[in-house]
Amino acid sequence: MNQKELKELIEFLKEKGIAEFELERGDVKMKVKWTADSPALALPDSRYVAVPPAPLPVPGAAAPVSAATKEEPAREPETPSENLHSVRSPIVGTFYESPSPGSPPFAKAGDHVEVGQVLCIVEAMKLMNEIECDVAGEVVRKLASNGQPIEYGQELFLIRPAK
Amino acid sequence: MVGFERFPESWGLEAESFFIMFNKILVANRGEIALRVICACKELGIRSVAIYSEADRNSLAVRFADEAICIGPPQLAQSYLNIPAVISAAEIANVDAIHPGYGLLSENANFAEVCGACGIKFIGPLPEVIRLMGEKEKARAAMKQHGVPILSGSDGVIASAEEAREWARQVGLPVIIKASAGGGGRGMRIVRDENELAGLYRQAQSEASAAFGNGDLYMEKYVERPRHIEFQVLADEHGNVVSLGERECSIQRRHQKLIEESPSAEVTPEMRKEIGDILSRTLSTVGYHGAGTVEFLMDQERRLYFIEMNTRIQVEHPVTEMVTDVDLVKSQIMIAAGTKLPDVLHGPILHRGHAIECRINAEHPEKFTPSPGKITAFHPPGGTGVRIDTAAYAEGTIPPYYDSLIAKLIVRGKDRGEALSRMSRALEMFMVEGIHTTIPLHRRILADPEFLAGKMDTGFIERFFARNAAAAESLAG
Repeated sequence: MNQKELKELIEFLKEKGIAEFELERGDVKMKVKWTADSPALALPDSRYVAVPPAPLPVPGAAAPVSAATKEEPAREPETPSENLHSVRSPIVGTFYESPSPGSPPFAKAGDHVEVGQVLCIVEAMKLMNEIECDVAGEVVRKLASNGQPIEYGQELFLIRPAK
Repeated sequence: MVGFERFPESWGLEAESFFIMFNKILVANRGEIALRVICACKELGIRSVAIYSEADRNSLAVRFADEAICIGPPQLAQSYLNIPAVISAAEIANVDAIHPGYGLLSENANFAEVCGACGIKFIGPLPEVIRLMGEKEKARAAMKQHGVPILSGSDGVIASAEEAREWARQVGLPVIIKASAGGGGRGMRIVRDENELAGLYRQAQSEASAAFGNGDLYMEKYVERPRHIEFQVLADEHGNVVSLGERECSIQRRHQKLIEESPSAEVTPEMRKEIGDILSRTLSTVGYHGAGTVEFLMDQERRLYFIEMNTRIQVEHPVTEMVTDVDLVKSQIMIAAGTKLPDVLHGPILHRGHAIECRINAEHPEKFTPSPGKITAFHPPGGTGVRIDTAAYAEGTIPPYYDSLIAKLIVRGKDRGEALSRMSRALEMFMVEGIHTTIPLHRRILADPEFLAGKMDTGFIERFFARNAAAAESLAG
């Protein structure tokens, strides 16, 4: 097998998405292995999954992260003893902070929210499920980022309940 | 998932040397079978994704899977049986395939269809085949068509005692009269004597009318003292089907198997081959893929009658694995990835030795009340020819929401005698504290003369309990 054929073979394998390939013929021996693009991390204690986000085109993905950090300093810092309310996901899916790509997020840190107000979307099997807030109060922190995979019961928002 | 392709001929490569495998599999189950599938994935170099309910957060499947996703609260309907949650987890984890295990969604044709629609390979038969085998009458008809012996049943309702008598004459006594509209023993009569038939027919009819508002009756051939014999099959996606022999599963309590073994003393090599050939032909034509179990009743004359087919891996699959040295779960995965049976099996099926399995439940050994809770000590037996399939561990908790199976103890010996003594020894050395288990019950069965003689049928357990009750009374009295 010459260089050209070897290159063609590798291209062929890549195109077909073969993860691993081994060949032994005569005095030729080759082994090709592709590692996963972004290996999934399993945090040992919390058993949370942090897999690569679903491959959906979200052009504004980068922006909300920086926007969140910009908003933080203006707010009252949460004290450790504070009893903040967690809004948790009732379903497995993918977190989206706004109704559609590019539009402003449903809620961000500092916003005042009411019971029943939509905070985010968790998409499951192509269905966009609106997640409603279950207390009235102030959004202290958004705990998930746009496009992040979410498991059942995962914390999405921390809310300081109104007195 | 990659399709099977031929290389350009100029490369001089054999297409057969091409071997494809999944990158990632989601295990849509829990407990010991989830762990079993994860074991197979690890050995095949496939990443595994465990899904779990909040009650299974500390389970071994979650611990040993490469990734884990919580999909719901403890209740089955909201977690393991929640198809959108399972599929959503499969999508966010970007898996290639789902292994459904046994029970739960494993024989849910809709679930298999949803997997296909979402581009995820369901490790099992096609939805339409699952459906076919799930409908009892259709399955019987399909099997009958291909020469599989079935238990004769009437074609529809038997409208009169005269019709009943005629049908009984054709098929031969004994027969059982059953209510079309119900079950649970109501509207059922066994007829052993033709003179009693008319009377029993009328009794069944009035009982059925009273219980279900519908007096329609049908009839089936009745097998006295049947044995439950099932055959394990493997089928690839290229039309090749092989039988891996039988399991004897007559030791049952309320239709739940307690002990299984292989081979069955009543199945001769000729029978094994004959049934194997018929099943291979039939299931190849039906287009069956994957692992499956075909269940039969055997009568006192060693005749086999098809009852139903289970289109999944079964709880007692280790029994077959121990006597054939075939890893059935790995085989399922390889088959689903497109591998041909000769490359899965590497040679003919050989049966060696004798294997027995005891299903150990977290239940009181006499009252059978469930015993969930924390296990304070757990030391399974070891040694030659002993295998434990379990997700239980010391300091672990058995949740109350799911079935009570906590461990499968399987032994293999060179013959039944060695397997029996090995099982007795292994049961004796199995330590579980903190919860009740059925280990004491299994120990008593392993000491029972009828069981040791191997002459059992599905009525064994009732007789066993009666013997034990009588013995206890005579000791007390």
